Amino acid sequence: MAGIKALVGLSFSGALGLTFLLLGCALEQFGVYWPLFVLIFYVLSPLPHFIASRCSDNTDSSSNACRELAHFLTTGIVVSAFGLPIILARKEVVKWGACGLVMAGNGVIFLTILGFFLIFGGGDDFSWEQWFPRSIDGTCGW
Amino acid sequence: MAGFLDNVHWPEFECIDWGERRNTVASVISGILFFTGWWIIIDAAVCYTDQKDLNHAFYTCGVFSTLAFFMINAVSNAHIQEDIYGEGCLGKIGARLWLFIGFLIMFGSLIAAIWILFQAYIVPGNPVYPGLSVFFQNLFIFFSTLMYKFGRTEDLWG
Repeated sequence: MAGIKALVGLSFSGALGLTFLLLGCALEQFGVYWPLFVLIFYVLSPLPHFIASRCSDNTDSSSNACRELAHFLTTGIVVSAFGLPIILARKEVVKWGACGLVMAGNGVIFLTILGFFLIFGGGDDFSWEQWFPRSIDGTCGW
Repeated sequence: MAGFLDNVHWPEFECIDWGERRNTVASVISGILFFTGWWIIIDAAVCYTDQKDLNHAFYTCGVFSTLAFFMINAVSNAHIQEDIYGEGCLGKIGARLWLFIGFLIMFGSLIAAIWILFQAYIVPGNPVYPGLSVFFQNLFIFFSTLMYKFGRTEDLWG
């Protein structure tokens, strides 16, 4: 278990990031809740990594095409989470102050997710088998 | 005169060990460029909804660039250079043809974007931002393709 302190620290930074996001929506001078759509990107961002590490269990090689595609898609999701508030602000749907708060929240949340992966390694002793059973020949069924 | 720059080298950055991380860095940069290109055109689409400002036909350049990205990166370098026996419907020649057509489409989209910028925006004197956004979308996707294709090395695939 890689440490309670790390876990608590990551929880705190996660909560801080979500606080920034909610402040960007709920403060009196802003008042609109459109920025909450970046939550979709928060949820999507770890998925490519999970899919790639699930489908390529051979860790002999330091990287492979599947993992690199996962990096590509994850980066794209992160960029999208920053792009959406900017476009909302340019179209005057939200104010620029709200956009700034949302982007600060984005930064903190993505650093938290990154920290989670670096410290906990994506869950080494997490048993995939109960959630995603393999087929008989050992493939993912792609 | 023929080799007078042969002994000129870039300064060595020894603190950065590219080594194993090269593929990751290349993928990340490629992802940033690709999606930035798409968000630029989304921004233009949202701000200029009228067909007179940004004709909907201009979006096809970006679509074809993206198609070309996937075509170019679908074949690995190994497939083109070595002989792959068996599996797959494309042999070595088929893979080279696929790559060739992919690059054709990519360059064609880039040239089309430049053409659109000049013909529809700069020459008639219209506000130039939509044309610039089409151009930058295709330019970013182009560089993203190059980075993803050539910035990664297959030696690390083991």
